[in-house]
Amino acid sequence: MNDAMVQHLIGLSSDMAIMSLLALSAYLLLLVGRVSFGQQAFFGLGAYASGILSAMFHAPLLLALGFGMMFGALCSWLLAMPTMTLSGLHYAVATLAFGEMARIVLSGWQWQVSSPDGPVGPAGIEGFRDIRWLLEHDITPAHFLGLTLAILALVLVVLMRTERTRLGVALRMTGQDDTLAATQGIDVSQVRLFAAAVAGALAALGGGLYAHRTTYIEPALFDPMLGVHAVGYALLGGLGTALGPLVGVMFDLGLLDATHLFSGWRMVVFGGLLALFLRWRPRGLLDEQLVHWLSQTLKWKVRA
Amino acid sequence: MTVFSYPRVRLLMLSSFVAILLGPRVGYASERAQVGLQCVSYGTGPMLECLIDLKRKDGTPIDQAQITLSALMPSMPMAHTIKPVRVVPTGKPGEYQGSLTLEMLGVWSIDIDIAAPMREKVSRNLMVNECKGDLRCAATLAKPGDKSPDHRPAKGHGGH
Repeated sequence: MNDAMVQHLIGLSSDMAIMSLLALSAYLLLLVGRVSFGQQAFFGLGAYASGILSAMFHAPLLLALGFGMMFGALCSWLLAMPTMTLSGLHYAVATLAFGEMARIVLSGWQWQVSSPDGPVGPAGIEGFRDIRWLLEHDITPAHFLGLTLAILALVLVVLMRTERTRLGVALRMTGQDDTLAATQGIDVSQVRLFAAAVAGALAALGGGLYAHRTTYIEPALFDPMLGVHAVGYALLGGLGTALGPLVGVMFDLGLLDATHLFSGWRMVVFGGLLALFLRWRPRGLLDEQLVHWLSQTLKWKVRA
Repeated sequence: MTVFSYPRVRLLMLSSFVAILLGPRVGYASERAQVGLQCVSYGTGPMLECLIDLKRKDGTPIDQAQITLSALMPSMPMAHTIKPVRVVPTGKPGEYQGSLTLEMLGVWSIDIDIAAPMREKVSRNLMVNECKGDLRCAATLAKPGDKSPDHRPAKGHGGH
């Protein structure tokens, strides 16, 4: 395997891990019965916030990512507050509108500071260049992949452990039937606000990692199609476990896109498959039933 | 009981996380390269042939650099990934050449990743237009808001 191919695989794996964080943010909202087409906005806001901190204020990467997460969580929470009472379709449209609003605001926003290599910072529609923390600290793409995978693993561990707690049950109950959940003493509004804030933080974390990986971001990157794909990955992979969105990402980016299996027909295949899944398997490949069956089988085999 | 219930697994995950975060630190890279890019598109695919001009700040050409050229569509980040290619020297001081096979026309972000003698990463958004017959058309710098393919063959050179 030549060096360019190794670099390609490292880049592809990093992209898949970053996209998984965005898909997990869509998954978390789907769990509580919300379809958001605006997660790309928090991805973008996180990318800008963490990029500003590391490129303009020379903050360490972890601090920049943490700041981006907090900013994404805050924005998502602020959006969730007034949209709490909206029904499914109206909520989806509201998130889409917010996504476009954020993109337009970023397109017009200019704030640059001088540096020895010229001005650095968001330059409206021209984007934000020179987010060079990884280059300046000699972090290789392989090291960055390690960091991204470690962050993704940590997020997965936390999510999968949370699903076994009372909070996890509350999240699923709210998504399945919010009236029933309310009669069981669950504060549905608080659960949804919490899920929205965490989803915003996850998307922003993905955005922060993306900005540092590519060194360059622009508002056009945070197109609604990015948010639609995030929802698609979660729906295709399944809502039964936090591993579901990863399966969706691996299927599309890892199999269809990277192998060029269907070449220019990739989007048709992905869209068609998603439509079939929504008809025949509405909660995705790894739905609750399959996950339950798998875990029971695994337990039985371990005991045997 | 899951695999994460074992204290050793938890400890191993936590320590690898900390090691990755604190591991590679070399300090600030002092030098930045000046990167010039000129690309032409031709044929079906379309193919994109690029010339990269690499210089130090004082104008000295940089030879024997390790450069990888790749492309992505800004409208769908992390998808439409094009296999990167290692560019080769043309023989002129500081000049390198590489070709990419793109999936479609439109705005492409061309990434130039320099691994040696210094680390540098540069992106340029280029508009790749349809080029009929055996013509070679310059891929011009994309203007903000450019999205759909422009069917007029571009004239002259662009992309610097």
